[in-house]
Amino acid sequence: MRGVGRIPACLLLLLPATACADLQSALSPRGPEAGSIALLSWILFAGGTAIFVLVMIAAAVALFGPVRWRAVMANERWIIGGGIVFPAVTLAVLLVYGLILMRPVPADAGGEPLRITVIGEQWWWRVIYRDGEPVESANELRVPVDVPVELSLETADVIHSFWVPNLGGKVDMIPGRTNRLRLTAGEAGISRGQCAEYCGGAHALMSFFVVALPPEEYRIWRQREAQPARPPSDEARAAGLELFLAGGCGACHAIRGTEARGTIGPDLTHLGSRHSLAAGTLRNDRASIARWIAESQHVKPENLMPPYGIFTDAERDLIATYLAGLE
Amino acid sequence: MRRWRLSFGALRLRHIMATIFILAFLGGIGAVLVAWSGAYNVAASRGHWPITNWFLHFTLRNSVETHSLGIRPPGLDDPALIRLGAGHFAAGCAFCHGAPGDPPGIVVRHMLPKPPDLSNAAREWRAQELFWIVQNGFKFTGMPAWPARGRDEEIWAMVAFLQALPELKPEQYRQLAGADRTASDPLSGCESCHGSGGDRPASALVPSLPGLQQGYLERALAEYRSGLRQSGIMQQAASTLSDADIVRLARHYAALPIRPAPEPAEEADRIARGREIAERGLREAGVPACLSCHERPGSLLFPRLSGQQARYITGQLAVWRNGMRRLSAPGQIMAVIATRLPADAAADVAAYFQARDATEVSQ
Repeated sequence: MRGVGRIPACLLLLLPATACADLQSALSPRGPEAGSIALLSWILFAGGTAIFVLVMIAAAVALFGPVRWRAVMANERWIIGGGIVFPAVTLAVLLVYGLILMRPVPADAGGEPLRITVIGEQWWWRVIYRDGEPVESANELRVPVDVPVELSLETADVIHSFWVPNLGGKVDMIPGRTNRLRLTAGEAGISRGQCAEYCGGAHALMSFFVVALPPEEYRIWRQREAQPARPPSDEARAAGLELFLAGGCGACHAIRGTEARGTIGPDLTHLGSRHSLAAGTLRNDRASIARWIAESQHVKPENLMPPYGIFTDAERDLIATYLAGLE
Repeated sequence: MRRWRLSFGALRLRHIMATIFILAFLGGIGAVLVAWSGAYNVAASRGHWPITNWFLHFTLRNSVETHSLGIRPPGLDDPALIRLGAGHFAAGCAFCHGAPGDPPGIVVRHMLPKPPDLSNAAREWRAQELFWIVQNGFKFTGMPAWPARGRDEEIWAMVAFLQALPELKPEQYRQLAGADRTASDPLSGCESCHGSGGDRPASALVPSLPGLQQGYLERALAEYRSGLRQSGIMQQAASTLSDADIVRLARHYAALPIRPAPEPAEEADRIARGREIAERGLREAGVPACLSCHERPGSLLFPRLSGQQARYITGQLAVWRNGMRRLSAPGQIMAVIATRLPADAAADVAAYFQARDATEVSQ
């Protein structure tokens, strides 16, 4: 019994731990949209707790209170007031509040937003920056601080859901539709997002990072992102690129500035500068890239990349060296 | 009275059961004793009693009939199938079963059971029964199972040939099977199906080899020999090749001039759709462009496809779709793509590559 009694205590201890995972938490908002959602949450938590306490007090009085009080509570008005009017009013107010909070943003609110298209694919994110000449990237979003960003959310296959808890609410990506979501990052830093709608085998490994940069840094980064990949700077990297092309990798992946123009898989033009590999599955470094090439089905089962056993270890290292250097 | 009769009945039943049990037990002991003593003569030279012979064939015939119940034959009146079957019959079957104008040798004639002359097999067995026999072989006889599980289309080629066999005169058979080439040289074995020099392979189901990359040909033969690539026909053909043979054969075919493109096919639409897929892929199906791996200059991993026979290409794509050819690293890559490629698109792509002028592709 003592052991069982400890379980609620342990669960209570775990509660603050969820808030500690700052990288991906609705309780640590980093922008106005997430802030208003967090406020609504706190109102709900506090209101819910207050109502719960009141109901418990009423129940205790009804059971154990003085006879006179119990006689008063037996009056029908308590039922009508507390059981019908109060919940109806409370829920109506909350509904209106929620609807106002979630209303579609008028196109011109807060100045011209920065437009980015995010397309959910099994099981990664295609990202197209539409400020200026469109530039395609994948599995990472970079946004300037304090500039509203309008995301066009689409899907290439099944229903996905785009959710960056630190920055805003969850919006589904529905086949045949474009949903819009407006976010603003209030401070520089990295947040983590993930697919929030089960979308098949590797759903749990479909995450991404959002990097909020001061506007000037964003501008510089955006210019660099639009550039083609740097030509290989040494012989090893040149050999890596050659192997990449000869192995047919360019059939699915694009590296702008090379022959690789595939559009089926993620664009790899500036792979080396991203914070994660395979949609938040692995740390992005040379060893992980080499590992991914050899055993992607082991790392992320069911992902759509064919197993690439045709390379020797040395060849994989060359390819990984080349790709990791694409910054 | 009633009580007595009942117990008498029970006594009788118990008595009969006990007798049966004891007899069965003694029979079992007897069988073990006979086997142990070595009294039974297993000699092939002795043959079977007529009654044993009848009983064995009775069992066999019923077994084949029952086991082939669910099998549906495809259209077998197809010269490409018959020709492919003929080539393998000469290489793999004729030694035991004999062929028109070429009865089996003296050694085979002393086997028990003696491998039957197959010139009438198609009249004795239905197509699905022949299929089941070629696929599974027979226990306690010399008849082996088909070496490559899952290559049903190869087995149907054998059945198609067996159905054509009753009509074949020795001369026609030798011509069909390419059997008049000398068997001593491995190359002549290849040529009996793949053709020699610039002529087309004998069957539309057989790949054209001239001008394929040497590295690719070596890998294909090595994979057949080791079983990484499955084919009842090619695994048999490659099984006796030495490493030196493989290099020599690959070099021979790699050095042959690429055949010029065949006369333009009628299916211009199909070819145009195939070209689109070959050059751009089928994005919505997740199929990359064929030409981003195949026919890249200098690539040894992926075979040249231009000028290849369309039916061979669709056949191999079907092999992947059916879950085979997935043991080698390049095979695993293509398996993913072939599985995503719809059958219709596969036919388009195959038509395109058959019509594509191979002489313009530099390797």
